[in-house]
Amino acid sequence: MKKLTFKINRYNPDDERRGHFMQEYEVEVPSGHTVLDCLNDIKWNQDGTLTFRRSCRSGICGSCAMTVNGVNMLACETQALALGTDTITVEPLRGCEVLKDLVVSLEPLVNGLYAVKPYLIADAPPPTDQERFQSVEERDKLDGLYECILCGACTSSCPSFWADKEYIGPHGLLKAYRFIADSRDTGEQEHMEALDDKHGLWRCHSIFNCVEACPKDLNPTRAIVELKKKLVKGKVG
Amino acid sequence: MYKRNVRSGGALLWLFQRISGVYLAIVLFVHVILLHVMIDGDVNWGAVAERASSPMWKMINISFLVVALFHGLYGLWIVLDDYINAGWARILVFSLISVITLVFTIYGTITMLTLQVGG
Ligand code: FES
Repeated sequence: MKKLTFKINRYNPDDERRGHFMQEYEVEVPSGHTVLDCLNDIKWNQDGTLTFRRSCRSGICGSCAMTVNGVNMLACETQALALGTDTITVEPLRGCEVLKDLVVSLEPLVNGLYAVKPYLIADAPPPTDQERFQSVEERDKLDGLYECILCGACTSSCPSFWADKEYIGPHGLLKAYRFIADSRDTGEQEHMEALDDKHGLWRCHSIFNCVEACPKDLNPTRAIVELKKKLVKGKVG
Repeated sequence: MYKRNVRSGGALLWLFQRISGVYLAIVLFVHVILLHVMIDGDVNWGAVAERASSPMWKMINISFLVVALFHGLYGLWIVLDDYINAGWARILVFSLISVITLVFTIYGTITMLTLQVGG
């Protein structure tokens, strides 16, 4: 049990005059409590107006991505005491329009995702009596790609996205590569269509913020480099 | 829904940016070794001009000039491209950078070609 101070960046669209401001809360934190547990504690016992997204509280839904002590992470996957600071600063994801308190608009991210057609494209229907076949080796190629839960921690940490809200973003590009690398997918052209574009692959300057931000330890930059190589090979022959 | 607007065709330029980067690293390494490590005495105009007046060095220096200008100014354009979205501004800035590249390439090449020691 330890008393921690939570400094939370708040914003209420109904109180435009006040704008964004920091509010402090004291919380008694038992060991093992996550940042999300602490936010719940504040919301349920101190201030019911505090607003944030959460759903699964087990690192699966991707709702609770936020900037904690300056680093993007999932609030439900981060133990508060493990952060090692007496004051914990919680802010909404950067580069996104804040709707209220810690809730941001994810619309640019959704648009970026749609641009790469993030679903399996196959030219033949699946067999009627079994699933589409994929060998163990082919399936292994998807490790490090399929685990993305689309929380947005990567793209909201990306300076290229801060500068260009139409940039597809590391989350979208990782997803594109996830399907292109899938042996069952035959729609490479369709996934790639939006990539050779001002708002596509070439906005990535290998800054690696996405790699550091990803709470699932994935590597979007590597996927982006693979896509760049694919595109260049297609041009050079 | 997502709409695509500007075709970038950036693939080959991206590739050439990598190749030119490697080329620059090699030439710069050779340059530093030859001019600052292996040289006896002072680095002065005479020493530099004498070497630069040989045809082979003229070729190397001109290629160095062209590649360095491309690499630097295309790199600048890539950075600016992050922030410039209006069509007219993109055309303006891109044209400006292209003209600068062209002028410096021509000016530098003429300087190299006409360089003579004691002439
Ligand atoms: S609440 Fe679902 S990922 Fe955190």
